[in-house]
Amino acid sequence: MTLPPFALLRPTTLDDALRELSEDSVPYCGGTELLLAMRAGLHRPAALVDLKRIRELSGVRVEDGVLVIGATERHADLAAHPVVRERLPVFARMEKHIGNARVRTQGSIGGNLCFAEPKSDVATVLMALEASVTLAGPGGRRTVPVEEFVAGPYYAEKEPDELLVDVRVPLRDGLRGAYVKFQTMERPTVGVAVLADDAAGWYRLGVGAVGEVPLAWSFGSLGEIDADEVAGWVDPTPDLSGSEEYKRHVTAVYVRRALARLEQVSA
Amino acid sequence: MGENVVGRSVRRPDLVEKVTGAAQYCVDVTMPGMAHAKVVRSDRAHARITGIDVAEALAGPGVVAVVTADDIASLHARFGHIIADHWILATGKVRYYGEPVAVVVAETVAAAADAVELVRVSYEDLPAVMDVDAALADGAPLVHEQSYEATGDESFKNLSHVDEETAEPALTNLAHEVTLGWGDVDAAFAESAAVVENTVHFPMLYAYAMEPYNAVASYHEGALSVVSTAQHPYMVRDDLARVFGLPLARVRVTSPYLGGGYGSKSYTKVEPLASVASWVTGRPVKLTLSVEEAIYTTRVDSARIHVKSGFAADGTILARDFDIVMDSGAYADNSPLVMAKAVNRCFGPYRVPNLRVRGRSVYTNTAPASSYRGFGAPQGNLAGETNLDRAAERLGISGADIRRRNLVRKGEEILPGKRGIDADIPADLEMVVESLERDRKDVPYYGIGFGCSASDAGAYPISTAQVRIQIDGSVLVLSGSTEMGQGSRSLLAQVAAEELGVDLSVVTVVQSDTSVTPYERTTGASRTTTLVGLALQRACADARARLRDMAAELFECAPGEVRDLPGAVAGPDGRELSFGAVVRQWFGGSAGEVTGVGLLRRDGATQKMPPFWEVGMVGVAVEIDPETGVVAVDQLVTVADVGFAINPRAVEGQDLGAATQGLGGALYEELVYDGAQLANANVVDYRVPRMKDLPRKIDLMIAERRDGVGPYGAKGAGEGTLNPIGGAVAAAVARAVGRWPDRLPLTPERVWRLMSSD
Repeated sequence: MTLPPFALLRPTTLDDALRELSEDSVPYCGGTELLLAMRAGLHRPAALVDLKRIRELSGVRVEDGVLVIGATERHADLAAHPVVRERLPVFARMEKHIGNARVRTQGSIGGNLCFAEPKSDVATVLMALEASVTLAGPGGRRTVPVEEFVAGPYYAEKEPDELLVDVRVPLRDGLRGAYVKFQTMERPTVGVAVLADDAAGWYRLGVGAVGEVPLAWSFGSLGEIDADEVAGWVDPTPDLSGSEEYKRHVTAVYVRRALARLEQVSA
Repeated sequence: MGENVVGRSVRRPDLVEKVTGAAQYCVDVTMPGMAHAKVVRSDRAHARITGIDVAEALAGPGVVAVVTADDIASLHARFGHIIADHWILATGKVRYYGEPVAVVVAETVAAAADAVELVRVSYEDLPAVMDVDAALADGAPLVHEQSYEATGDESFKNLSHVDEETAEPALTNLAHEVTLGWGDVDAAFAESAAVVENTVHFPMLYAYAMEPYNAVASYHEGALSVVSTAQHPYMVRDDLARVFGLPLARVRVTSPYLGGGYGSKSYTKVEPLASVASWVTGRPVKLTLSVEEAIYTTRVDSARIHVKSGFAADGTILARDFDIVMDSGAYADNSPLVMAKAVNRCFGPYRVPNLRVRGRSVYTNTAPASSYRGFGAPQGNLAGETNLDRAAERLGISGADIRRRNLVRKGEEILPGKRGIDADIPADLEMVVESLERDRKDVPYYGIGFGCSASDAGAYPISTAQVRIQIDGSVLVLSGSTEMGQGSRSLLAQVAAEELGVDLSVVTVVQSDTSVTPYERTTGASRTTTLVGLALQRACADARARLRDMAAELFECAPGEVRDLPGAVAGPDGRELSFGAVVRQWFGGSAGEVTGVGLLRRDGATQKMPPFWEVGMVGVAVEIDPETGVVAVDQLVTVADVGFAINPRAVEGQDLGAATQGLGGALYEELVYDGAQLANANVVDYRVPRMKDLPRKIDLMIAERRDGVGPYGAKGAGEGTLNPIGGAVAAAVARAVGRWPDRLPLTPERVWRLMSSD
């Protein structure tokens, strides 16, 4: 299908962009999800508000022990970004392997979260990291944990007149992390993130792609993570990449593999 | 034997323009005043059409016309080269989800697409038959209420075993039935030391040519001109001439480069839709399908095959019995020939003293199935070879030994009265086994499998070619054979350069324009090298004879006294004249040209059918992740038994491509119906092989024994290597996990379940 006609708006400030937004005038950045939906006839907005010229929405910086990633940062840029690679290597490695080359060079982190594709790697890792997002709207700004923001399949907790400004990841010294995924088709069947801050006794597990939304849990030690038990906590969506039973099985396999991988990661 | 140009891996002349995107494909072709078409398609599997309201669509901006079956009722609005059952636009009822119901013609693609949404088709649902069991059940709803005359395709009559005169008239969902056999199968089973039977399921596939079907057509003053993605432009021309009642000479079909075919672009596809749209509107009309629409236009026959074989204690085959049922979808298209070929090919290149094969091609309310690389061989071979490997296991002998015991030797017939096998298949087998065993890994969950096939290839031997010698000695080669990525343009240039003794750089090959290039039946069944090659050799010989005659006039000697030289002739006194000089001096005005014509028919070396046997000989080694069931291919080994490789690199390319396509169907690919429609009619969810899936070791061997009827002893390549891949993978997986799979593709979950089952 060809794209239906639409107006393209290109604001250069966040305030201008917010004024343009409505039910029928939607944010547009990489277009890797939006344009497909438009081509498929699932979505027909009158206008696209291009966010790529808004400086406030880009950039990566560390602020008070928090890694702040602008919403329009593209996956390939984050995978290569020196600050991300140094401070959050597990996130950089995940970004290096998401989607395909076109998605990585076009797609943005903010767009990925707002689209809330159930088979996303990004949300799984961010939930495990206890990350949050900053939303700006006519009434001001609010901060929402990613676990609440990615509320359902293709549903993010964001009003049509709001914009995702940045993603905030609390940094931990000595954090070890591993993300492994099982992927036989275009999108992952299951992705597992496991994170350890041994000094703080902080341990997190995130499991995504297997069900409608990623899930994350905290543990007091790595030994508490029982792969078979975790497989019982997920609610797999049966599809062409596997039945519910099989997906539960490979969830357990990949939780074990993530833990094994983590053992090889030094702080 | 002293050839200079053939036998070398020359660089393809089309290489750079294809890699840089400069090459012109059909989708790039425009015509002056062209309008654009989009197709209104059925959104249900089986329903009576109670009305089509086009008023709102016609009122849409830029809409030129909405064409429905009523608008073309005065035409012969059906096509089909074997059974003319395929309505151009659904007439009275729809038979599958995705069937064309109307064509919207508009000034732009977007306007046409918008207006498609405004065409209101009302339906009355009919009970649907979505699989072969439902279609063959007593009292099943009929996909076709009327039977259609067979069009008597010559190749079909010659290659299948059905007598059209006695075709049964009963109205069922049986599109076509083929039987084959000899000996007393039941008596042989009774005497067998072991009888092994099993059932296999071959998946519903999509050939996935990168370029979807598209065409641009212009009907003007009693003449039709079509540029399309047709593998067989002459066959399409014949269908279109019948639709419009036009003389063949007033229908022109041109095929530019094709973005892949794999059989899926053989015979008529979108050409009638674009043509009737032009006929109705009086304007050229361009129609380009999406991938999803292409999947709903033609898919691959899925098959369920029950096979039973009886063996002596030493593994000698005593009898084989096959029952093949294929889901051919809503229209027959080429499925009857696919079935005929499956019947011929299922039992393998083995001595089978007693044989019984029954094949049934069944109509269902699914997308129509037609040709696919291998023509029924991939389906049939999976059954035959898996059965043989299971028998070897039962008898306690190796997969290689059971084949060594039964493989036919050179010259032996596997189909009585047909050409004997023109290959040394046992020698090919040893090459595969040796390569696989050399690199066998000693790790758990590792298995080796291999398989053989022999296909009655080449299709019906009718081919023509022309060479035109220019005044500067350069050469035009004209052929109706289509370049679709396989490299025929390069290959034909090599043959002409070799025969005429000219440099490859002065030869230009022009292909696939029914008003310009000479007749070619089809581009399929791996026939071009052998059959077009022979026709081209004859055209070159004819050109040389004419040049000798002309030179004799110039030399004032007898024609028999003129000798051939590379690119030139010599007179009895030693005077030499280049081809260009002969043409210039004979015409006398530095102008003119000489045309050589080559004709090939069922005669002489190509009297016996098939023209040649295409051998498939492959091996794979797999390594399985026991926790997930993921199959990694560790080794891929192929033998191209091509007699003589005119372009060895092109042969390797064909084999690697065919094997990879085979691995797709063996491990990943399957179209899945979910109710009336496909769950994965797109290239994201229909999973094809990727670079990462490439085998760790790839050994592409070429066996050259000069045993083909083609030029320099050549035989065709392109299909053979796909055919045994499915069986080889199934056997390798079975040996890795200790249980025999009964269906492809062997997805991770299927392998995991196989390993987990009791």
